[in-house]
Amino acid sequence: MSWRKFFHRSQWDAERVQEIQSHMEQEIDDNVARGMSPQEARRQAYLKFGNPQHVREEIWRMNSIAPLENILRDVRYAWRTLIRNPGYAILAVLTLGLGIGANTAIFTVINGVLLRPLPYADENKIVHVDQTVPRLGSDPIGLSIQEYYDYRNQSHSFSDFAEYHSMLFTLLGTKNPERVVTGVVSANFFNVLGVKPVLGRLFVPADDKIDAPPVLVLSYAYWMKEFGGDRSVLGLAFEMNDRVHTVVGVLPPLPEYPDANDVYMPISACPYRMDPMMIRDRDMRMITAYARLKPGVTLRQAQTDLATINGRMVAAYPKSYSGWTGFSAVAIPVKQELTHAARPTFLALLGASGLVLLLACANLANLALSRQLRRSREVAIRMATGASIWHVVRQMLTESLSVALAGAAVGIAIAAIGSRLLVAYAGRLTPLAGEIHLDSAVLLFGVGSAIFSGLLFAALPAYVATRTRLTALNEAGERSVGSDHGTRMRTALVTAQVTLSFILLVCAGLMMRTLYNLLSVDPGFRPAQVLSMQLNLNWTKYKKDSDKTNFFHEVLVRTEATTGVQSASISWMAPLNPNQAVFNGQVKIDGQTLPDGTPAPIVDFETASPDYFRVLDIPILSGRAFTDGDKADAQKVLIVNARMARHFWPNQNPIGHRVKPGNSKDWWTVVGVVGDVHQYGLNKPPDDTVYAPLDQNPIGNAHLLVRTRGNPLLLANQLTAIVHQIDPQQPVTQIRTLDQMRNEQLGTPRVTAMLLTMFAAVALFITIVGVSGTLALSVSRRSKEIAIRIALGATKQNILRDVLSHGMAPVVIGVCAGALASYFATRAMTNMIFGLKPDDPTTFLGIAALFFIVALISCTIPARRATSIDPMKGLRME
Amino acid sequence: MSNSKQTNNDMLKGTLDMMILRTLITGHAHGHTIAKVIERTSDDVLQVEQGSLYPALHRLEDRGWVSSYWGLSEANRKARFYRLTAAGKKQLRSEVGRWRQMAKAIALVIGDVLHDGGAE
Repeated sequence: MSWRKFFHRSQWDAERVQEIQSHMEQEIDDNVARGMSPQEARRQAYLKFGNPQHVREEIWRMNSIAPLENILRDVRYAWRTLIRNPGYAILAVLTLGLGIGANTAIFTVINGVLLRPLPYADENKIVHVDQTVPRLGSDPIGLSIQEYYDYRNQSHSFSDFAEYHSMLFTLLGTKNPERVVTGVVSANFFNVLGVKPVLGRLFVPADDKIDAPPVLVLSYAYWMKEFGGDRSVLGLAFEMNDRVHTVVGVLPPLPEYPDANDVYMPISACPYRMDPMMIRDRDMRMITAYARLKPGVTLRQAQTDLATINGRMVAAYPKSYSGWTGFSAVAIPVKQELTHAARPTFLALLGASGLVLLLACANLANLALSRQLRRSREVAIRMATGASIWHVVRQMLTESLSVALAGAAVGIAIAAIGSRLLVAYAGRLTPLAGEIHLDSAVLLFGVGSAIFSGLLFAALPAYVATRTRLTALNEAGERSVGSDHGTRMRTALVTAQVTLSFILLVCAGLMMRTLYNLLSVDPGFRPAQVLSMQLNLNWTKYKKDSDKTNFFHEVLVRTEATTGVQSASISWMAPLNPNQAVFNGQVKIDGQTLPDGTPAPIVDFETASPDYFRVLDIPILSGRAFTDGDKADAQKVLIVNARMARHFWPNQNPIGHRVKPGNSKDWWTVVGVVGDVHQYGLNKPPDDTVYAPLDQNPIGNAHLLVRTRGNPLLLANQLTAIVHQIDPQQPVTQIRTLDQMRNEQLGTPRVTAMLLTMFAAVALFITIVGVSGTLALSVSRRSKEIAIRIALGATKQNILRDVLSHGMAPVVIGVCAGALASYFATRAMTNMIFGLKPDDPTTFLGIAALFFIVALISCTIPARRATSIDPMKGLRME
Repeated sequence: MSNSKQTNNDMLKGTLDMMILRTLITGHAHGHTIAKVIERTSDDVLQVEQGSLYPALHRLEDRGWVSSYWGLSEANRKARFYRLTAAGKKQLRSEVGRWRQMAKAIALVIGDVLHDGGAE
């Protein structure tokens, strides 16, 4: 068999016809010459030759590739059937396309984030080592350098144990002075990750020596952004922290993990890290650790190893760890840390889109089923004339797979667009979002899900077809075959659809309410029309406290003199800035002694200039705000939030009480109480907070907050210019409005809620089409029966009630089953929702009510048709 | 289709192929001529439907043992002529060789049977 012949079969056949023709004429001539009559001559020639048709067929078969031939024939037949019924074809392709598109788009993200290996060698061996204290929440607290040494020197589970922290430094030597995010790492950090430089070298142990000449390794992204990938960057010198740093290497493209570092420097070059005070103090936790498991060592063994050291530490240094119940060391696989936020969300979304696809399949199965029932005569004829069951089933599979593959084409196109929109969304949840793009795995998934759906929705009608009996051929057959059977099957399908889409609707409902809850959280301040700019001072330039406060005062004075500015303040943080870590510490309350062994209470700290509360519109509940009189040498004063006031001084006026925060030697007097503010997230309740005046607690890293009259962003350039007038080398970063920050907080739940709601809406639509379609079919099937009942005196109400109860039965059963299933399914969403429980009864009841109403409305159309049946017409049809 | 019938058919096919090749060794011929020659030379022992000749020719051409072209017959009629290719000649030789060997072997076996039968 050959392809060339395969495609030239018709031409070849035409030649054979000619050849056989010529043969016959020759034979007939011979016979006539032998004296036969022309008729006899022709008859004898044919007798001798055999059946020419048969000969042609045999040659045709020799030129064919049998399985291909069959498939082609089936495809052609499927094509003809679908063309004859374009409505069905378009509906089916679009439904499937949407379902497959949604699935493939979500899968693209999952593929990029969860499935693709990390660009690190042997990624499963890399762990992040840190410590947690339950009292301070589930976030790790970091390591002090002494603790790091203990873990590094005493553990024996790791082949490499590296330290890491990230800071902002000013880099001089490029076009503008720049604040660069700098990863400060021990020399073996990149051994732990297992990455190789694309240019130059990474750090070597000699770089860790105290007197080593400072060197820099650039991240790939920074190299591209600042130097356009110029290879001559090696050996360039930049000034950082008053020292000259030489570029020695460039990293390959890596995820922005642990942080979005622009450059890396060895620990020996970081002035903070090398401060002898910092190295000595066991309680100053500024670093964290990354380690690579030795071959053959399991995560559990490593954790036990670390726990032993941790226990030894607690025993050896009671002063540092007294009362730290639950203090423990943790080793978290890096892969898990990179994906833990994205995993549940995207798996939930894949589940949702998978349900939508299943629902679509159910609807198509339903449609195909009724088509099949209408075609039972055709199938019966084909089987009567010799087609096997396999022939019939294969034909139907071809038809559904053709539809499914067309759906896949539509779906993959949708996924290509959809996944691009999802990248930004995924970026909020994982640093791996850059890895998201269409690849062969995605295409395979798209086509695979199409084939799966095709098989799924062909299965039911194929099953019905195999049960087709020749009785379908007699007159009554049309009605009797599969009618009862088909209806029951269709009702079961619809019930399943209702169940599935109910689950989906409940999930979407929970997410919508979460979003609503978050939106209606009062942040405790008014974010509208406030601009935030980050001003991180270069510590080598602003060494003295007075230098810092003078600079900030100058900024405030000039900012407030700008037209369009209502008020301005300097504070450590901007509330709801998603990029900030919680800053808190212990406090002592004057006159309140703690029982022995009880740890001191922890409160959040914030530093603020006098106008801070005015800028943010935080209400002063009693006492006063800070004033310009709260100078460095004046009496130390504090403002506490309402929660803290209630907590420590219930039923008392906290004004005048004294507090000793953190390591301070002084007692600070409370002068005011302000409203609670959601500092770290709308979904995190405000904690006890103390505010210290800027002059009494000078800071180097600050946010300039400016309340403006008009659009705050219009003032951004002007305000940046003011800062540069005071210090041309001072970088101004993260220029955003507080509204933008608030919206960023809402971004993830908003998109999740939107996507789930979209899926749920599609699911509801598909299901309702199924419910009313099935009912309409059953009404038309029963029209004669209904006509008889009307003729016998049934009222419209009787008929209406009968038809509606018929249509609503699967809805009621499905909703009950769905509620039961949702009760378990929604538990997976516990971490995604806010302000309500996963089995929230209001949501469940609301969704059930919605379902009933929509279903009831959709059922009235076929029900009305049933009541308007004319009994005379109905009976005459017989 | 039963197995024995299949074997029978295969044997017939092989024989027909050989006979066609054998016919063509004397020169080009079209289908009708080949049919006549086979009919005559086999003393009408092999009653073959003339139609089955054409699939066989097609098969031989497919294997490259014969080639074909359109031409005019003795009766001035357009006809498809077949001729033996070099590969076809080689095939015929080996086919004939094989046939002779087999005939010899059969003759030996049959001879023994006859001989044994005679001795009894």
